[in-house]
Amino acid sequence: MHIRSLFYFLGEALKSVVRHGWMSIASIAVVAMTLFILGCFIVLNFNVASLAEDIKEQVQIVVRVEDGIDEQTREELQRRLVLHPELEEVRFVSKDEAMERLKIKMGDRAYLLEGYTEEDVNPLRDSYELQMKVPENISVVAGEIEGYPGVDYVDFGEGIVEPLFQFTGIVRWIGLAFMIGLALTAVFLIAHTIRLTVFIRRREIQIMKYVGATNWFIRWPFIFEGLILGLVGAALPVFIIQVSYQAAVEWIGENIYFVSLLPAEQMGSEVAHILIPLGVILGTLGSTMSVRRFLNV
Amino acid sequence: MIEISHLYKQFGNDIVALKDLNLMIDRGEFLFIVGSSGAGKSTLLKLLLREILPTRGSIKIFGRDLARLKGRQIPFFRRNIGMVFQDFRLLSDRNVFENVAFTLRVTGVPTREIAKRVPLSLELVGLKGKAQKKPGELSGGEQQRVCVARAIVNRPAIVIADEPTGNLDPDTSMDIMNLLQEINVRGTTVIVATHAKELVDYFQKRVVVLDGGSLVSDQERGVYIHAH
Repeated sequence: MHIRSLFYFLGEALKSVVRHGWMSIASIAVVAMTLFILGCFIVLNFNVASLAEDIKEQVQIVVRVEDGIDEQTREELQRRLVLHPELEEVRFVSKDEAMERLKIKMGDRAYLLEGYTEEDVNPLRDSYELQMKVPENISVVAGEIEGYPGVDYVDFGEGIVEPLFQFTGIVRWIGLAFMIGLALTAVFLIAHTIRLTVFIRRREIQIMKYVGATNWFIRWPFIFEGLILGLVGAALPVFIIQVSYQAAVEWIGENIYFVSLLPAEQMGSEVAHILIPLGVILGTLGSTMSVRRFLNV
Repeated sequence: MIEISHLYKQFGNDIVALKDLNLMIDRGEFLFIVGSSGAGKSTLLKLLLREILPTRGSIKIFGRDLARLKGRQIPFFRRNIGMVFQDFRLLSDRNVFENVAFTLRVTGVPTREIAKRVPLSLELVGLKGKAQKKPGELSGGEQQRVCVARAIVNRPAIVIADEPTGNLDPDTSMDIMNLLQEINVRGTTVIVATHAKELVDYFQKRVVVLDGGSLVSDQERGVYIHAH
């Protein structure tokens, strides 16, 4: 394309956006609204996924060592744990360390533990804290470890962890399905809105054909127009989501301590990276496909 | 310049729009095509513009068979023909200058050249000083003049007018016909499809009469004949 033509087509596209003001606003509104809903879902889904990851990372198996076993059995147990292929990390917590942790946990009331701190009277046990490589396999691995000699008791939050994994799995799949569904709806809506704008201008296209315009000459301004509408239509929800998400992160940070959202900058750029190209592609594709129907004069 | 031989056009299985049409039009001629509705005038014009293809027979313009034009050659072919429509077909959201300039922009004429040629064309049709008006601010006759200016601005060899006076009062119709005649005098072939008996009789040009898709009369200095 000649550089002069490029400027002409861009100029025509911009003029057309202004000339067909209401239709442009309608197109931008449709693009913006569908992409806004999609964007909200992306924010939600990313946060649920990150929350699920956080929870998974906190999941661990605690193996309490039988009291009074000999050193050889304990070393054998440790060796088997360290060599276990499913375990990411194995940490030994002595009963003294366990007592220290308990004191910290009890804070002001730590004085209640006085008298239990001596080596002989400490009621706590030595234990191992195990991190899973794949948290979903936790119950199988825990069951296996329970059978090792020297193991008194295995705790992995049975009855809580498994439903949680199921829940986060379901949420992710539903989220994915919704996002795909919304994206398809957006394609449909945007294509139809743009088709309407092209339909209104079929006369113009017809006149262009009569005076000898080539198909590409007719197409380019429409393509650029679709691109502009898609870009503006995507930039709006990106901006709104960024601003409101920032506010939500700040509010939740001040008021609800135990929920940690993904940082606003990261989320904003994720949303922008998905929505902006999507808007541009949808707008361009929608107008290109719509023009084609009116070119056969 | 235009050679039509044994031209047939059929739509579907039973609608025959044109039957065995033979017609020769020379460079610089002025020609009326008359006939009642359904006589085949519109079909003939569409064939001349290569909007549709003949069922049988051939149309040659500038020695080229239109049926052999490739899709991407059609725009370049059409640049040789200026069209004037009954309903003007102006772009209502652009001013007179832009409507006329449209033809030139489409064909990639540089802006400086456009700035020279559009005023000349507007002057020729008597619309000097109305370049900045929108079509809606003009009378029907003036709008048709814009349409004529648009048709001639890139100096086509042929101007085809489809019922150019159909929406105009008699005086204005006469003005437009005079304008088309003036264009013809400058060397452009002009083909006018019309119902307007008075105008056809007044101008005494070549008249081709179509009826039921057939050519029933072709006279030099003819008058409007009602076919039976």
